[in-house]
Amino acid sequence: MSQALPPISDIWVYLSGSPLLALVLTLSAYLLGLTLYERSQRNPLANPVLIAVVLVCLGISVLDMPYAKYFEGAQFVHFLLGTATVSLAIPIYKGFASLKGRMGVLLLSLVAGGITSVFTAVGVARWLGVDASLVRGLVAKSVTAPIAMGIAERVQASPTLTAIFAVSTGILGAVLGRYVLDALRVTAWWQRGFALGVAAHGIGTSRAFSVNAEAGAYASLGMGLHGIVGAVLIPQAVAWWF
Amino acid sequence: MIQGLVQLFIFQALGELLSKFALPFIPGPVLGLVLLLVFLGLRGQVPASMDLVGSGILQHLGLLFVPASVGVVLYLPVLQANAWAISAALVISVVATVAATALVLKALSKKDETP
Repeated sequence: MSQALPPISDIWVYLSGSPLLALVLTLSAYLLGLTLYERSQRNPLANPVLIAVVLVCLGISVLDMPYAKYFEGAQFVHFLLGTATVSLAIPIYKGFASLKGRMGVLLLSLVAGGITSVFTAVGVARWLGVDASLVRGLVAKSVTAPIAMGIAERVQASPTLTAIFAVSTGILGAVLGRYVLDALRVTAWWQRGFALGVAAHGIGTSRAFSVNAEAGAYASLGMGLHGIVGAVLIPQAVAWWF
Repeated sequence: MIQGLVQLFIFQALGELLSKFALPFIPGPVLGLVLLLVFLGLRGQVPASMDLVGSGILQHLGLLFVPASVGVVLYLPVLQANAWAISAALVISVVATVAATALVLKALSKKDETP
């Protein structure tokens, strides 16, 4: 080393000015979340997204980094949400192959589930006096997060709250779903899977896949169809009801 | 791999254009999804490189909504003040949604399920 190192504060100023810090923070928090999730035998409560969000929140508060500054760097990850949404066509297309003429029945139950999701969430929240700024974040919470956030922007809801409520819903659905389905004596795997996918999108779907492959395929279809139908109908429902 | 990524970006861009100029109430990426679904239906199979890229992205879908979810730091006070009511709304709603979907499905498909 021929040159003296610059003072640590200079290095710090340089690092926090580039997107690298936010990207490394985001990716390593997610990696740690994923490791813990695998270690827990894929327990839905050890959700990697939830763990990553908690870690990044702690990280940016320790570093005293404002959220806007963090997002400036992390937006490169955020951008791929749109591409991921488009990619959802692939599992939906593959799901169509195993339908066996059940499309009509599936669509009807999807609409029933979607309407129930919006009305019970908003109804209970209003009844319990939840702050109006939060209630709008609930309307798209059963839709898969990337699409839910697109819907949120169109109904003047916060994409952040919508994403948080969507992830929470996914975890709750993955944990509670089987008890509800057992209590109702729903035994066919395809029906159990589809209901989980409609109510608890991606997290419910990975839960369904870990139990039964047919349930997983139908869950994935339920999640994808709810995404498409929700994106079309939820903004209309909000315009009419709010 | 690059080929698959380019194809996905093209469908995303087509969706954004369609959303901006024709169907502003539907998010662009959802329209891109529908266009891609139509394309796959016409083509009869998923191109290998697109399958590779798409499945790769979807496998880590959760990572992609971390940046937006971290914005929760801005909402902590209002979320704390409403924590119980929000939790109740989320739990009741997800139980009701699973139940409604499964019951309608079960009721409507009774005929073809009987042996």
